[in-house]
Amino acid sequence: MNSAIQVRGLKKSYGSHIVLNGLNLRIEKGEIFALLGVNGAGKTTSLECIEGLRKYDSGTVIVNGKMGIQLQSSSLPAYIKPMEAVKLFAKWNREKIDYTMLNALGIKEIEKKQYTQLSTGQKRRLHLALALISDPDIIFLDEPTAGLDVEGRLSLHEQIRKLRSSGKTIVLASHDMAEVETLCDRIAILNHGNIIFCGTASELTDKVGKKYFIHIKTQQGDSTFETDNIEDTLISLLGELKQKGNHVLDIKVDRGTLELHFMEMARREAE
Amino acid sequence: MSVFLYGVALQWKLDIRSKSLLVTCYIVPFIFFLLMGGIFTSVMPEMRNTLIQSMIVMSVSMGSFVGLPPSLIETYGSDIKKVYKANGVPVYLGLVTMFLSAFVHLMITCGVIVLLAPVLFQAALPAQLPVFFFVLAIYIIVSLSIGSILGLIIKNQAKLTMIAQLIFLPSIMLSGIMFPADLLPDFLEMTGRVFPAAWGYRLMLNNGFCLENLWYLILVFFAAVIICGILLKKQK
Repeated sequence: MNSAIQVRGLKKSYGSHIVLNGLNLRIEKGEIFALLGVNGAGKTTSLECIEGLRKYDSGTVIVNGKMGIQLQSSSLPAYIKPMEAVKLFAKWNREKIDYTMLNALGIKEIEKKQYTQLSTGQKRRLHLALALISDPDIIFLDEPTAGLDVEGRLSLHEQIRKLRSSGKTIVLASHDMAEVETLCDRIAILNHGNIIFCGTASELTDKVGKKYFIHIKTQQGDSTFETDNIEDTLISLLGELKQKGNHVLDIKVDRGTLELHFMEMARREAE
Repeated sequence: MSVFLYGVALQWKLDIRSKSLLVTCYIVPFIFFLLMGGIFTSVMPEMRNTLIQSMIVMSVSMGSFVGLPPSLIETYGSDIKKVYKANGVPVYLGLVTMFLSAFVHLMITCGVIVLLAPVLFQAALPAQLPVFFFVLAIYIIVSLSIGSILGLIIKNQAKLTMIAQLIFLPSIMLSGIMFPADLLPDFLEMTGRVFPAAWGYRLMLNNGFCLENLWYLILVFFAAVIICGILLKKQK
């Protein structure tokens, strides 16, 4: 019983539009799992079916543990104050308020503001705090960092990592490849209601192929070259630049971002 | 129970902060009361006998049809309703807390009218105040149940503004509060009787508390409860 969530054959349609076409998933306890996909791929519908917020047509969903759901922004009344929402949620869940958690998320600093006066980052933090009130085993985050600046994003990533280290299972939906790459243990890529990949970020790279990107900065500007053989390409590029008399200022080699891999998989799926 | 009461008290505070409910439940009814109270009683002194009931019908109609539905749309026409499901709370709880909160607001408004009307305009107090407040409660509940249908069935504020007026204006114009309903042409008098305002007005007048004036309001209330139940069940 190490799995936190098991989903088998989950189907959901809106009229004739099939959103989920027999989804199968297994999420292990204590991992950060990402559902990745472009807008309209079915991420939010999948999450809401698993969370019990949305009825599905057929399939099985088994959730082993208490759930905490971080809803998207704009899911609280406009004039409610953060601590009022916290108290209301705590009463609904018959839980005591964890002030340590609230302080860590900076809720104390915004307690006098009304919901509409909060920034996007403050709203996200509040929704995360509300999701954590019931001390859940599994936390669902839907686009947790959408609309956040870099600082807000890093701060929320830090919170999510802390939650994982305290044994929580975290399931997040995102279309942000960089976020998923740095944060998640495993990734499922959704496309047209089907999972076209499920595994780690490095497994995804292995599946798509080992492509490398060589970024060279010279006095003439920046150039990027794609290759599957770093050594040969690098030698040939440096020789060419020396011949032209271009001074190399910087060289970087990387394996590409998940975004590139995702686009490659989506392209293959379409073919 | 304390959870439920906290929810109602919080909703009551949110309603005060929401300018729209403040305007529709307090500011406009009081301005109307002060203005029309002065005009009515100076043009037709006999209106002192029905001034309290008239002003209450106007206030309750405004609060119920124009004030309550926007709060419901804000919740049930948006993602806010997911908050209930996400916390294992029945989805009807929002409706119940908003309904009760609006009920308290309207009772306060009506209470102030009852207190001020005799002082400011020498209006006649109802002969039996406990009975009067009892029938007032019935009338408010029925009006709010219709406002609840509006708030659950209409999904945007612009449409609501138009549709609410289709109920609010006839309630005011045809219920008999501005001029006796029997002076209206038969067709308009009959149309006026479709709206609970006409029945509520008659019920609140002295010696108006009888089954003849009550049955329609009871019927409307139960129909509204069934419709609201169906609409809540349809919430995705």
